[in-house]
Amino acid sequence: MQAPGQTQQVPGAPGRGEAGRGAAGRGQAGAPAGGRGPAPKVPPEFDALPIWKMDAPKLIAMVKDPNSTLFQKAIACKKLSISGGREAIAPMAALLSHPQLGCYARFGMEPNPDPSVDEAFRAALPNLKGRLQVGVIHSIGFRKDAKALDALTRLMSDGDPEVAGAAAASVGMIGGLQAAKALQAALKTSKPPVFPVVARACLMCAEGLMANNRTRALELYTTLSATSMPKPVRLAALRVLNAAGPAPAGAKKWPAPTGAAADADTSGFLGRGRQNE
Amino acid sequence: MAEEKKKVTRRRFGKAVAQAGAVAAAPLIASVPAAGQPPAQAPPGPAVGPVVVARAGLLDKIVFGGIGIRGRGMNDLRQLISDDRVQFVAIADVQESSREAVKSFVDGYYSNNDCQMYRDPADLLARQDIDALLIATSDRWHGPMAIWAAQAGKDMFCEKPASMSIMESYALADNVRRYGVVYQSGAQRKNQFAFEFAVGLARSGMLGRLLAVHADTAIGLGTVDEGGHGWWPEEKPEPDPLVVDWDKWLGPCLWRPWNSRYPAQGRGQFWDFHAGLLEWASHTVAMAQWAADMEYTEPVEYEPEGGEFRGDGLIGRYTIYCKYANGVQLVLRNHSWMGMGSCSNRFEGTEGWVETGDSGNIEVSPNLKSLVPTRTGVRLDPTTEHIREFIHSIRSRIPPRANAEVTAHTHVASHAAWIASQLNRKLTWDPAKRMFIGDEEANRMRSRAYREPWRLESLATCM
Repeated sequence: MQAPGQTQQVPGAPGRGEAGRGAAGRGQAGAPAGGRGPAPKVPPEFDALPIWKMDAPKLIAMVKDPNSTLFQKAIACKKLSISGGREAIAPMAALLSHPQLGCYARFGMEPNPDPSVDEAFRAALPNLKGRLQVGVIHSIGFRKDAKALDALTRLMSDGDPEVAGAAAASVGMIGGLQAAKALQAALKTSKPPVFPVVARACLMCAEGLMANNRTRALELYTTLSATSMPKPVRLAALRVLNAAGPAPAGAKKWPAPTGAAADADTSGFLGRGRQNE
Repeated sequence: MAEEKKKVTRRRFGKAVAQAGAVAAAPLIASVPAAGQPPAQAPPGPAVGPVVVARAGLLDKIVFGGIGIRGRGMNDLRQLISDDRVQFVAIADVQESSREAVKSFVDGYYSNNDCQMYRDPADLLARQDIDALLIATSDRWHGPMAIWAAQAGKDMFCEKPASMSIMESYALADNVRRYGVVYQSGAQRKNQFAFEFAVGLARSGMLGRLLAVHADTAIGLGTVDEGGHGWWPEEKPEPDPLVVDWDKWLGPCLWRPWNSRYPAQGRGQFWDFHAGLLEWASHTVAMAQWAADMEYTEPVEYEPEGGEFRGDGLIGRYTIYCKYANGVQLVLRNHSWMGMGSCSNRFEGTEGWVETGDSGNIEVSPNLKSLVPTRTGVRLDPTTEHIREFIHSIRSRIPPRANAEVTAHTHVASHAAWIASQLNRKLTWDPAKRMFIGDEEANRMRSRAYREPWRLESLATCM
């Protein structure tokens, strides 16, 4: 990595693999490496390290084993987030409805690129309620699973505002023309506290469309620039529209400066003239 | 805390009274809501948000709220509140004792009882009269809270590390850009003279062709390693949410049973709550990227060396050798080898080198001695200057040095180095595709799934 003969030209360069001239050279100790104090006493039944060193088959067995503790299953899911393959998905998906372990199951499944993760999340979606359903909805959005758009669109009108909001956010993250249509429709029907989430999702969707469907994206931004929109969303949309080009021909225009103030404004500062109107 | 209040009250009382008089005398200030005024009583008018510049006229106060202020955050608050342009009106914290401590401090400073307290940060974010935020929670909440603040149209100073993962870093930058708010991270050394001088030497060409930039990560993974990847202390009955709201304290982190050890001794011992290497890399890599003029990208190679790997992280002395696309090296070490104090940096080129750190000392190669200012070795707290830059940015809408985009790239570089160290192998990174090349395990570590019901609203995901 280090270019041979380059760094060595520089006086005092700390060499690779050596402590350099720190403590010895300047009489100051370096900062203690690797800790701030004594190691905590970890109860053996709550020590993650032995589980962390297991291979995937043992971890999967631990997740499946009804005699495994919450802690064992939790840490196994965490490690499977890195090392789990296709065979790890179903055992973890079985935990999605568990009040405490549901988040660990999603943690283990979400980064796994295998498409069967998407199938598992979609299958779990109608069987969950409340927070656990919200979690799966978000994992679907994070994975940009377009096959879930129909289900998510239906959930945007769910009676639970947390579910409806999560669905809207995920639709916005997935993006595309179908998502844009669903979100634009929801802008007309949703009410607070879901409405601001729909507006933010629509903003994300518009941003996602800018690269490949600029016309549709600008239509969305125009919708979002209405005064009925949440102010942060409206201003965000206006900034994009301003950067995109001049206002359309039919847009509102301010009347030209009129009256004596404008005529008499010999100072050249129109603002000063306006103050007298 | 009582001692802090006492000190500030004595020192600042006269100043606070003078400020109150100034408010009464200046008509322009009358448009600003009184400190602590709840949203229902806020005067009619345009909602705040990205248009804060319209409110923050020369004589107007910028109305601040705080989220999760303790320890380091109290130092930020002391500096912030002493700026005449600031009116601090509210605190949100999931711990009763923390929010009461902040209220006590703020009310003592202003000699009133107006600072409002909230258990749920969402209630504070909903206040239309608050322009900007001081966010100083623990690591796990920095990213989500900053993103929420951006979506609410608030400008913010947010302590470091700014994120818990690569994807959260990008999400932060995306949301700040999308909503047009001002973001400044707690990389205070960007406003400390010794570091500015060292960076200036590198960026000016005075070091010749740049070869390597070194970043001290001294505390590094800290006690995270000692406890393993995620041990659980003994389960205890959950406290009253009014005292400690455990669900909100955990926030986006994975569920675990309550134990008072978490809020008391907290983040440094648990992987879930800690950004590991970024404890100091968020400072020193920021300076290194600045010096190398690489603030808008990341190194493309990461190769760990040394340390004792335990399967879930590493302890002992380690070095991570990184390389930018132009060949310049970024070297991260958890052992401070220069004796320049904490958070030290070294920049070296073909015609010279410079070192500095929190000691305020500056060392250079002999040929550059004449350039070193005479007053070195002064350990100045850069917080005041850093906050001053933040206030200027709120008014000017010009991003500060430690803006969200720069912060995101700093954090992506640091997270990538940490992932390489955890996997104990060389990794190759593609900054354009935002992914490691040919290493699926590393790519899986780019994000941490949020616990429900929290979510990361972002177009930047791993997929």
